[in-house]
Amino acid sequence: MTATLGKTIKEFLRQKTILFWTIAWPILWVLIGSFSFTGSVPEEVAAYVKGSITISMSVFALMTAGIANLPGNIAQDRERGLLSKLMSMPINPWRDFAGRILALLAFSSLAAILVALVGYICGARFSYTLAGLWQSIGFLLLISFASAGIGMLIGTFIKHVHGAIMSGVGIAVVTAAISGVMAPYSSLPSLLQQFATVYPISSGNSSITYLLVGKDYAGYDPLSTSQTTLTIIASLLFFVAGLLAYSRFCWRKD
Amino acid sequence: MKSLVISDAISAENLTKKYGDNEVLKGVDLKIEEGEFYALMGPNGSGKTTLASIIASVRSPTSGKIEIYGKKPEKAKELIGYIPQDNFSSPILTGKENLMYFAGLLGYSRDKAERIVNELLNKIGLSKDANKRVSDYSGGMRKRLEVATALFPGTKILILDEPTTGLDPSARRKFLGLIKEAKEEKTTILLITHIGADAELASRVGLIDEGKIIADDEPERLKETSGLKNVINIETTIKSEKVANVLGDFSDDQKVLETDVGYRIYCKDVEKATPRIVRSLDAIGCKATKVEVEKPSLEDVFFKLTERMVREVS
Repeated sequence: MTATLGKTIKEFLRQKTILFWTIAWPILWVLIGSFSFTGSVPEEVAAYVKGSITISMSVFALMTAGIANLPGNIAQDRERGLLSKLMSMPINPWRDFAGRILALLAFSSLAAILVALVGYICGARFSYTLAGLWQSIGFLLLISFASAGIGMLIGTFIKHVHGAIMSGVGIAVVTAAISGVMAPYSSLPSLLQQFATVYPISSGNSSITYLLVGKDYAGYDPLSTSQTTLTIIASLLFFVAGLLAYSRFCWRKD
Repeated sequence: MKSLVISDAISAENLTKKYGDNEVLKGVDLKIEEGEFYALMGPNGSGKTTLASIIASVRSPTSGKIEIYGKKPEKAKELIGYIPQDNFSSPILTGKENLMYFAGLLGYSRDKAERIVNELLNKIGLSKDANKRVSDYSGGMRKRLEVATALFPGTKILILDEPTTGLDPSARRKFLGLIKEAKEEKTTILLITHIGADAELASRVGLIDEGKIIADDEPERLKETSGLKNVINIETTIKSEKVANVLGDFSDDQKVLETDVGYRIYCKDVEKATPRIVRSLDAIGCKATKVEVEKPSLEDVFFKLTERMVREVS
């Protein structure tokens, strides 16, 4: 497991496209958002708007890592015959899987921390309790699991590396745009508002915003019992579906 | 009293593999003894890679029996070192990092992995380049690195799928030297190839065509039993059906094997035939730039048996 973890982390950190989409792109949006969209807003409010943008872009970093980088990594290993090689070795597929997920979590955390740091430097401020902070970490984990699940589904069914990466980037960007990760929830049409509550990455993002910035910035109450249950179940469903697809089809003997 | 037990490292009986309606393996029987160097030679699509991947436990057979030292392949994975056709090493990791990754997968502790990996790097002649990224390696270096992933202690069977494809002659020589070393260490080797010269290095060669092993013997015995005596290798200025037809008149059974630069024909009385061939080619406006009499190769044997070429000509 540690072998796969080490290999995958090194591969993530050494590929410029991965670094760009997962770290540089969200940071760029934090910079743009912080200096372009908050000019006419009072300074006190602007700090929280920047906080909200920073959270969204940290979530976007987690999304890209799971939805684009992970399938790219899986497709790459399959395309170059590594999965065949691994299948011939006395190793447990679950350990390979666990190594990939841990690498993803470690890399995602690094990306999210860097994005948050840049947001803080740009003036983002948060208002939270210790319990709220822990709950937010829980929601970040759920977002990572949901993203990893979607990523594994893409990596399992889209065989070519570029196809997997581009599909992942496309899905991450489009779903972030239509679900309120990249735009305020209140500005979405009602159909997309419904989607935002069902799509666990978006509802997770709103939950963190609610906990760390305030309910006005979330647009709705994502922490109601029913909504939180839906966020947890939907995240885990994506994860389990991805996991089953990966273990069943990527490691399957034909 | 000494017991003389020769065990089969690999044993396959009536092995079949179907993908939908396409039957890729049609009842393959194969026995490879411990320590033997066996080459399986055949053209693309003949089923050789499928057979190798079944032995390596990457695919399952549709029917038939396959055993590795008397066990099912999935129960004998620790004995097998499988090198697929594709370059599976990570180009953005260094050579050493790639090997450390495989050592980690096999469960070696950090210290032990470091020691074994250094030994392996030394063995494959990549110690100096161990910390270079694989993307900076030549094709030959990369292939040697990948073979090293199958040489960790405990490997008793090495399965190499088309390992020399795309290598230049020098890299190919170095690579085959590494295989010879493995052979000296009593590792059982199964080499999948479509290159006759590589197959010649094996102690036994199986010729596979359309999912069946059509001949199986020592390389020299295969040539003897094929009935081929001499081959005239002709390099021509033109390659066309007309040229092939003219040459066919001089070849036993009209068989002419096309090569990258000309043709090979099979002729008993080469001394008489050679000047007549040159004249006949001249008469149709084709120059023979080189005419050589050679001993038959395994590719010639395959052609004689199947009337098909082992590899595509460019």
